[in-house]
Amino acid sequence: MSIWNMALGWGKRLLTLLLSVFLLVTAVFYVSRLAPGDPLVAYYGDRVERMTPDERAWAKDRLGLNDPITVQYVRWLGRALHGDFGISYQYKMDAAEVIASRAGNTLILGGAGFVLTFSLSLLLGVLCAWHEDGPLDRVLCKLGTAASCVPEFWLSLVFILVFSITLRWLPSSGAYSIGGGGLGDRLAHLALPVSVVVAGHLWYYAYMVRNRLLEEVRADYVLLAKSKGLTKGRVMFRHCLRNALPSYLSLMAISVPHILGGTYIVETVFSYPGLGTLSYESTRYQDYNLLMLLCLLSGTVVMVSGMAAQFINQRLDPRLSARDAAGVREP
Amino acid sequence: MPELLEVKHLSVSFFTHTGEVQAVRDVSFSLKAGEVLALVGESGCGKSVLCKSIMKLLPQTAKIKSGSILVNGADITHYRERDMHKLRGRLFSMVFQDPMTSLNPAMSIGEQIGEAVRVHRPRLSREALRARVLELMALVGIDRPEERMGLYPHHFSGGMRQRAVLAIALAGDPAILFADEPTTALDVTIQAQILDLLRDVQHKLGTATVFVTHDLGVVARVADRVAVMYAGKIVEIGTAEEIFYDPRHPYTWGLLRALPALSKGRDTLYAIPGMPPTLVNPPRGDAFACRNEYALAIDYQEEPPMFQVTDTHYAATWLLDPRAPEVTPPSGGGIHAG
Repeated sequence: MSIWNMALGWGKRLLTLLLSVFLLVTAVFYVSRLAPGDPLVAYYGDRVERMTPDERAWAKDRLGLNDPITVQYVRWLGRALHGDFGISYQYKMDAAEVIASRAGNTLILGGAGFVLTFSLSLLLGVLCAWHEDGPLDRVLCKLGTAASCVPEFWLSLVFILVFSITLRWLPSSGAYSIGGGGLGDRLAHLALPVSVVVAGHLWYYAYMVRNRLLEEVRADYVLLAKSKGLTKGRVMFRHCLRNALPSYLSLMAISVPHILGGTYIVETVFSYPGLGTLSYESTRYQDYNLLMLLCLLSGTVVMVSGMAAQFINQRLDPRLSARDAAGVREP
Repeated sequence: MPELLEVKHLSVSFFTHTGEVQAVRDVSFSLKAGEVLALVGESGCGKSVLCKSIMKLLPQTAKIKSGSILVNGADITHYRERDMHKLRGRLFSMVFQDPMTSLNPAMSIGEQIGEAVRVHRPRLSREALRARVLELMALVGIDRPEERMGLYPHHFSGGMRQRAVLAIALAGDPAILFADEPTTALDVTIQAQILDLLRDVQHKLGTATVFVTHDLGVVARVADRVAVMYAGKIVEIGTAEEIFYDPRHPYTWGLLRALPALSKGRDTLYAIPGMPPTLVNPPRGDAFACRNEYALAIDYQEEPPMFQVTDTHYAATWLLDPRAPEVTPPSGGGIHAG
């Protein structure tokens, strides 16, 4: 009975997800084709300027761009459902292949940024909550408010200026040196972009952890926990943090696209060969097929993160789980 | 019998942005082992704050301004958090007013009781811990404890939660139990059950208890001694018999007259006129003077000291001064007079 209910619940959510992704790609398909620009430039480069109108018409026809947008859309959708997302005009390869070759770089950058943001914000948040209203808490909170107002692209430029140009400690662009590619080289190239991604998001989440924790610290049950004779540390970690964690974990799940969005900007500034630079290029050069697949992927990531957040919250908070509400519990 | 707990001239204030709130003003009392002391007074008169300040459970804005707290003769007034957590649970523990919020909602009942057991006996084996948790749950009248130890607070009713809170409070075999209005948030029928339970447990374990309440009816059922608080001060303290049959303070008269049982045959319940003063700027003289129909001129000038009535009975009212005029307590002021 309860398993059926759960399956039904997740089935509904899956359906919502598919519908949302469908609406997203539809919107992006039409909007991207309304934007000004010439997709032929992506495919033929400078040669477009020397083409006769006939040649242009032929070229457009070859890429299927002469048909009405709705015809193009139906054709794209039909192929996409069979796993064929078309070729990238710019790279003249399967869009999926182009993305696959870049995805690793973004996963490394985003993953490192995510893990660091996650752990550092937890650390800072706990530290601030522990020393509530102490000097450390006050300084960190004010610093955080200021730091979270700094836009990522600007911070990237400042970091490049300071660490790459003035101090010459770290490379300013790319994922590895030409001809290089050792682990140290990769890490050196990662250091600045990851720092920017972390610095851009850290404070917001640290602040969330701090405030969630303080909300718990002020709850009545803390008085009972203290009156048992528990130490401050045990009350903070076993009671407050444990109760604050589900909502923090679900927040982190929602934050995946947020941090991913940050990496897109940072990748562009650091010319880091990942999905962010790819998205930027594909939009700029009207590389339609590539753009569509990137949208599809990003959209799915956003929505799956949202679902994951909900799932985490339900599993970790006994009050929210349907099975428990019925009063049934495994031994 | 030596004093288990001695509070001497304790003053506690909250420092807020509206100013200093003098929640507890110059309070002295003592508690013997096994004794039940009731702290009675209107809402906001400092009863809870007094208990929480002894256990040092007040927020950081509250400060002990003066006075001392002695436990078995040892001064714990200036103990810090790291010293206090060793005393809490074992020396004293507390049952709180609202059982709906005082349990951790995300931790099972058994786990919360077990934590209270283990904190003072860290080397207890799993089986012994389980046995102790079941024993405590049985002690506070939770039926079928094996089934229920895995349940969460939201599976429990208010009365059951309060039983669980009591089990937690008793887990460390405390010498003193503070019961901070433990029945106020419960249904009337459940109130009586919890009250009986508290009394039974107290008889069984002999735990000295400070019972905070605004309900004199409750006091009559449980207390050996009664302290009446008004505006942060103890205005009268004595044995239960003395307070009920020979009250001396006009405020105690008012409280007793306000009992519904003593308003029988009258159209309306008696109420003490006026409101308690704010404790931000307590008035000069006796804080009760402006609500007191027996107030003397000096009540507006100077705070009355504690006058001794008997060895155990004290009251802070100028009416007990030898120079004061004779006043007969109102009908209902002492139980026999009604």
